[in-house]
Amino acid sequence: MTEARWMKHWMFNCKDVSKKVSESLDRKLPFHHRAMIRMHLMMCKFCWRFRKQMLILREISQMTDLPGESLDPAFALSAEARSRIKNVINSAIE
Amino acid sequence: MKERVPEPSMPDPDVWVDQYGDYLHRFALSRVKDPSVAEELVQETFLAALRSQENFQGRSSPRTWLIAILKHKIIDYYRKKRHEEPRDDLESFTDSPDHFFNEKGSWEIRPNKWSTNPTKVYEQREFMEVFYRCVSELPERLARTFMLREMDGLSTEEICKILNITATNCWVILYRARMNLRQCLELRWLKLT
Repeated sequence: MTEARWMKHWMFNCKDVSKKVSESLDRKLPFHHRAMIRMHLMMCKFCWRFRKQMLILREISQMTDLPGESLDPAFALSAEARSRIKNVINSAIE
Repeated sequence: MKERVPEPSMPDPDVWVDQYGDYLHRFALSRVKDPSVAEELVQETFLAALRSQENFQGRSSPRTWLIAILKHKIIDYYRKKRHEEPRDDLESFTDSPDHFFNEKGSWEIRPNKWSTNPTKVYEQREFMEVFYRCVSELPERLARTFMLREMDGLSTEEICKILNITATNCWVILYRARMNLRQCLELRWLKLT
């Protein structure tokens, strides 16, 4: 095996790294994968950015219950639904 | 002496719909796209809350308590629905992130530098609205899996059981969701800053 091919075998490309970085958010990766990611990140500023942004995504997601807070009136309960649900609750209380 | 903070109390059920209905409905709509299903889930949430009112101990706000019940109702709905949906066939989906890379596996559409860290500007409602819109525009299956994982904090094992998918497919779906979401945020929000 030539040196270049050997290197290729042992290195992740950006596509591999993006997959593995995402996977690392969901499970603990084997040591050699973590090492290969680290090696790639040291040389690739785009993957470095990508990883940082993945961590930001996680942080944002955990910060919010925003869907409920949206002010868009289109997502409010309709008048019909409102009165129907009220009736159901009232008959359940009685 | 420390002043005693009054515990939040549960208002009477006859004001629940007016007080929490819209909030719960918007939350439900973010998880299920069908408005009639969302209404149904809100109704079931109130009925379940009615049955277990004595369990409300004032450790959280009534709204948080109701959302927790709603989240369970949503998961039950996903469980029921999984039998109606086609089995995993990831290849047939058009959300594959392959176009981000060239044939050598290097970035074709490179991640831009985010000049502002959005987590530091949480107060900026604008960003959170964009984030929420980007999540809701994901293909439904990606959005559902992403929200269970990141917003509800379920493990992949739990998600696999609820959605009846394999762990490998779960990782693929989450990867696609994150790739799409990152791109959407970059296009929509970071241009504004």
